[in-house]
Amino acid sequence: MNARPVYLHGAATSVGWGDSRRSLTDMIFATVTDALRQSDAHMDAVDSVVIAAHDLIDGRSLSSMVTAPAAGSYLKDEMRVDEDGLVAASFAAARIEAGEARLSVVAAWGRASEGAPDSVSRVGFDPAFEKPLGLQELDISAVRLSAWLARYGDPGDSRAAATAARSMRAGRSPRALRVPSRDSVLAYPLRQAEGPKWADIVVAMIIGAAPSPVRVGGVGHATDLPRPGERDLVGMPALRQSAEMALRGSARGIDSIDLFEIDGMTLVEEALALESLGLAAPGHAFEHYALAENVNRAGGSAAAWCYPAMGLMRLAECFHQLSGTAGATQLDTAPRRAMAIGSSPLGAQTHTAVVLERA
Amino acid sequence: MKDVHMPNDVELITIPGNWNFDYRYFAGETASRFFAELKNSRRIMGTRCGKCRRLLVPARTFCEACYVETVSWEPVGEEGTLEVFTIVAAAFPGMPPPPFVIGYVTLDGADTSIANFIKGVDLSDIHAAGKSLLSRPRVRTVFSAEVQGRITDFHFELI
Ligand SMILES: [Zn+2]
Repeated sequence: MNARPVYLHGAATSVGWGDSRRSLTDMIFATVTDALRQSDAHMDAVDSVVIAAHDLIDGRSLSSMVTAPAAGSYLKDEMRVDEDGLVAASFAAARIEAGEARLSVVAAWGRASEGAPDSVSRVGFDPAFEKPLGLQELDISAVRLSAWLARYGDPGDSRAAATAARSMRAGRSPRALRVPSRDSVLAYPLRQAEGPKWADIVVAMIIGAAPSPVRVGGVGHATDLPRPGERDLVGMPALRQSAEMALRGSARGIDSIDLFEIDGMTLVEEALALESLGLAAPGHAFEHYALAENVNRAGGSAAAWCYPAMGLMRLAECFHQLSGTAGATQLDTAPRRAMAIGSSPLGAQTHTAVVLERA
Repeated sequence: MKDVHMPNDVELITIPGNWNFDYRYFAGETASRFFAELKNSRRIMGTRCGKCRRLLVPARTFCEACYVETVSWEPVGEEGTLEVFTIVAAAFPGMPPPPFVIGYVTLDGADTSIANFIKGVDLSDIHAAGKSLLSRPRVRTVFSAEVQGRITDFHFELI
């Protein structure tokens, strides 16, 4: 059986903080409507909806019962994942490849201002061995950095340079949060500016079988070991494997990728991913991140961040770059091929990579 | 949203919410024996994978990497190496007052590391403390006077 090609038709992003004028469902409805408008599509033609959301982030139980219809689910072939938004995109693409769907809404969201997503991560740890120690998601990022520092030593000014580059890119992005939100208290050896910019985020994309200028080249997934202490926190093998799988699908090497959009809760995950992918030499992650113009053009988690919308946000950035609609962050030469990488809690255990290419 | 939904004289409402559910987590036979060894024998046990031969600590029923059941129980040394750590700065109910150190320690004989509090670190200067902890120092297991069969029955101290 030949898989049918999958095309991207449009993307919309809503980023804000604590705007009491809009409920979560209003935000989802407005963003999906915007994505349909960008795609010249109408909900009547949509035959598949795939959403990524998390009950504990949303603070509404029963797995998106209240929120899914805001993405257009009513009487449609709908799937829900409590995983990163890039997993939702992967499922939607698989349905189209198989010929089971023609036009799909993919949506992901997280509204950090309504709850306490950093505290919520504490309940994700193993209840017998790690939860009693009070660890949270950001602590794993700190532990990851300690592993890198122990291996390679102090990278000098390059960490500050990477932080500055990230913040400059976020400042340029039309899809960044520009108002104060919540500051997490970061654990040593993390520095405050390396953390995420908490935000209320909805991302919607329209993908389908009808040809458009941007198509899916390949998709990959991989899962790491459960206990953070047993993972290769520096090498991030699941990230590397998901990227290799996506590249195999597109039958091209990593050298063919013009842009990388990588999700990480902090600068640490974003930068160390470059070593994992082989783009930066071991021990040179931050240096490479600071200098590379084609990595996280929109400022990564410094622009806006809330699980589980971020992988889809990275895919939307790739789509905007490939279609020349990125605005102030647009690369001078519009890239031909881009890779988006999404990750899940805790400590980026699962990774999804998607290669997009100009058709 | 269009103005049709929002006349000028309507007050925007925010509804408070809170989740506070109880759970009971069944630790199972393997973890229960691990905790019984802490309480009754004050020793830390691992289980060995018959395929990759790694001694997995804390003990578990199966090796996730090889996807086979573990085959034997073995105690590990009281001393080990602090592999990675963080110095927690955020306060949270039920936790020690910050700053405090949590780290992953590979105990002698083990092939994996186990998380716990690292005590006895001079935290008057966080950066100086962090720098010394990055050298992967040796640590010793210290059991509490009162043991309850929980992961918090012990902690690590710098040697
Ligand atoms: Zn094994």
